[in-house]
Amino acid sequence: MNENEAELIFRCQKGDQDALKEIFNQYHKKVYRIAYGVVRQREEALDIVQEVFIKLFRSIHQFRGKSKFYTYLYRMTMNTSIDHTRKMKKVSALSMDEDAGFQLSDDAERRPDRILDHKELEARVQWAMDQLSPDQKAALIFREVEGLSYQEIAEATGSSIGTVMSRLHYGRKKVQELLKDYVEGGR
Amino acid sequence: MKRECFSVSGLLNKYFDQEVTPEERSLVEDHLPDCPVCRSALQSMEDLRILIKSPVEEAVEKETFPWVWEKIERGIQREGRPGLWESLMSRLDVTPFLKKKIMIPVAAVAVALILMMVPILYEKITSYPIPSVVEYVESETYNVMIYQLENQKGTVIWLFNGPEEEVSPS
Repeated sequence: MNENEAELIFRCQKGDQDALKEIFNQYHKKVYRIAYGVVRQREEALDIVQEVFIKLFRSIHQFRGKSKFYTYLYRMTMNTSIDHTRKMKKVSALSMDEDAGFQLSDDAERRPDRILDHKELEARVQWAMDQLSPDQKAALIFREVEGLSYQEIAEATGSSIGTVMSRLHYGRKKVQELLKDYVEGGR
Repeated sequence: MKRECFSVSGLLNKYFDQEVTPEERSLVEDHLPDCPVCRSALQSMEDLRILIKSPVEEAVEKETFPWVWEKIERGIQREGRPGLWESLMSRLDVTPFLKKKIMIPVAAVAVALILMMVPILYEKITSYPIPSVVEYVESETYNVMIYQLENQKGTVIWLFNGPEEEVSPS
């Protein structure tokens, strides 16, 4: 944690909303990435971003600087996102929000059959991720989406490095098996 | 799968996540050129990473975060600022005392103190006030002794027929 960030956190702990806004400007994309990685729906992910920063403002007085601030924030984001997925009604694979699908890179690929393929693939990925335990899902998203190290994931999830490695290993294995048509070996 | 795959396959996740030591890296990289199985396993991990990460990156790239900060501000105003109690608790920092390893001995000491205090309190509550003699009058027919209770809430009068004989308290 740098000096500027420590100062921002201190001000935020005193109830300064301008400080919270600066923290928001610094971290909202990262929070959104994690939230979107879990729920894979735009509106839900935006709701989670709001909820996380409101929660942060309410509970930042509990942050004592013993861990890195971003791992504290990521943990809050992951817990909020997983709570949201529990509340969300299960939707059928093809009724996903259009915005949640892949964005195709060129017009040639924007044929309806290709769009359907990508939407279907995205839906399958979401379904496969939903088959994981919350802990495995958290480890996989922290690693694959946010690129956190094992140490950082351990800090953000409150577990040991060995546990993180185990969750990543079995999580990957399970999702690879569920998506075997789309990953090496299933082709 | 070759025999050395057994020693390398356990390192593949770590290698893919760039968490290996230099020695482990050498071990894996010496093995990979001759082993299509391990190369395929690594490729699967790479494919999976792309499947998980790409849609997220694309979603972030095109997101404008419309009115998100304004909604957060409204949410904070709606819920109100941290209350007096929360502010006080944050200043006092009592969280270390709420931890289990501290709470248990503290609770044990509190229970022991309460148990020690109970007999003392009980004794104090149930003990009768010591009366004090206010007046003692001797006569030929009756001797009278008047007690005034300590708390001034009552008076006890004894009548004696003779010097040592008690008649009845009134």
